[in-house]
Amino acid sequence: MDSSSADSFNIRDFLRLDMFPHFLCPGCGHGIAMRALLWAIYELEIPKDKLAIVSGIGCSGRIGAYIDANTFHVTHGRPLSFASGLALARPDLNVIVITGDGDCLAIGGNHMIHACRRNLNMTCMMLNNEVYGMTGGQASPTTSEARYTTTSQSGCIEPVFDACALATAAGASFVGREVTIHLPDLKDLLRQGLAHKGFSFIEVLSDCTEVFGRKNNLGESPEMILSQKSRMRPSSYGSVDGNIVDEPFRANTLPTGILSRNERPEYGDTYRKHAADIRALKSGK
Amino acid sequence: MCPGLFGKLYCRHSELSDTAESKLMDSIEKKTLNVDSMTPSDPMNVLIVGVGGQGVIMVSKVLATMCQLQGHTVKQSEVHGMAKRGGTVFSHVRFGTQVWSPTIPKGKADIILALEWAEGLRWINYLDKNNGTFIADTQHIVPPFACLNRKRGALTGYKTHLPGEVLDYVHVGYALDATAIASEIGNYRVSNTVLLGTLSTVLDFPLDLWRRVIGESVPPKTIDLNLKAFEAGRRWAEEARKNGMAPDQSPVIVPDDQPQPEEDNFELVLTLEWCKGCDICVKVCPERCLILNSEHKVELTNADLCTGCRICEWLCPDFAIDVIKTPHEPQTGMSR
Repeated sequence: MDSSSADSFNIRDFLRLDMFPHFLCPGCGHGIAMRALLWAIYELEIPKDKLAIVSGIGCSGRIGAYIDANTFHVTHGRPLSFASGLALARPDLNVIVITGDGDCLAIGGNHMIHACRRNLNMTCMMLNNEVYGMTGGQASPTTSEARYTTTSQSGCIEPVFDACALATAAGASFVGREVTIHLPDLKDLLRQGLAHKGFSFIEVLSDCTEVFGRKNNLGESPEMILSQKSRMRPSSYGSVDGNIVDEPFRANTLPTGILSRNERPEYGDTYRKHAADIRALKSGK
Repeated sequence: MCPGLFGKLYCRHSELSDTAESKLMDSIEKKTLNVDSMTPSDPMNVLIVGVGGQGVIMVSKVLATMCQLQGHTVKQSEVHGMAKRGGTVFSHVRFGTQVWSPTIPKGKADIILALEWAEGLRWINYLDKNNGTFIADTQHIVPPFACLNRKRGALTGYKTHLPGEVLDYVHVGYALDATAIASEIGNYRVSNTVLLGTLSTVLDFPLDLWRRVIGESVPPKTIDLNLKAFEAGRRWAEEARKNGMAPDQSPVIVPDDQPQPEEDNFELVLTLEWCKGCDICVKVCPERCLILNSEHKVELTNADLCTGCRICEWLCPDFAIDVIKTPHEPQTGMSR
């Protein structure tokens, strides 16, 4: 655990202090994920002018509003589309997309797979709390089977979306997953994702106490956060070849850490090179 | 250096002044214990000590098998059940024409083989002061209960002596960094076999038998590695006898009377307007020094207990806790 920068990191330097306290419920893991993201940004010494944070709709989407940087709060499910335009037009910016499980996988599922496919240089932090929290606790694509929500009163029967497997298959060049309780690990993962050239997809397993945990008897927020330890297993595949070779050895656990990583061409570079070639061709004629 | 040098101590990694070296060279003679001269009432006592997981039991099994194959009566007893990984483990091996008791009396061990330095010191009063041989790995495995003070920069309770200081208690001492030797070979876990190699130079058993028994006692995949480690341990002991290496001064432990390094000071700053009383910090604090008060806000009960581990700060979703590192306070009346 690297905590050398912990002494010098002050989160208040990155917050819009006049908007605090934030609107998230007591014990919401999104706040912890936000700290990890800001700490990673601090460690990479990214200036605020070069930071563009795009967020969608939902509890996760509100996080962008609290960060003192260039923030962009957009329509439901489309933060990756807006961010794609931004990253293409301004390659000098560090584009970070903060999105939720419903925002990214249901409403914006189409945009997500194509953002992964293009491999534009940006980082997508998906906060997965298994539920649509802001709208009252409806079942989302990542709600585990047999969980009770307002739209699955007798237990959810739909199979779960594995967002990381989807992102890997769709072509994201950096895919990782981490839980909020391992904050220094989450920070390190986000830092590597931010430093990666290409599309980085990072799933953060968060907790929703108010509308999900209470309905499912998962305890208060401390219990929900501490139980994350038993839900994850450290990944065995930190290799660079991008192939998933993990063999599950425990049922009902998710692999965490860097799940796949490769160095395939970044779309912005390809696009600019292509444009320059055409321009040269035209001026030559 | 080492004014109290009246025994013979062989160590690794250090330099010795010319005069001291020549003195040490003069005093060195090969000591081989003659098994045939043992009387029925006086068996050979070997005490093997270490930390759980290091391979104390494997070493004692190899030794006991060796003795059996040589026609001796062997009694071996060990305590390992509660140790698991990380606790203290010891094994008594007694062999001779007749062995009555399976345990070695205090001050009667002919050889102590310590797989960890502090464990060796713990059992040193079992060694025969006048004729005993002390073989120890100089590596330190600090047990968790030596780290009770969790403040950053705090001293551990792991106290030990330098190899030179041990000389008062032993007749012949071998202090080698077996773990480093084993790591050079390929796996630090064969350090017990390195020490077995050193032990084999002290006992008068045929070399082929040693190799055979080790081959039968270790997992098939690691036989080559273990035999290499065994040779390395033997080679080290032979070179140490020939060249007379100097006492190793590398393990630096601050004695009690030295000024202790200053501990870092931390201050917990609570922003109560931001606290929503979610209880996470209260539950995750290892020192149990936070509570929720009657207004359902976080409160620090005992600032002295706080070690500045930052777990509450990191896991507070509302950013209501800041752990701030403060400069050291002047040393006035601070006894802790």
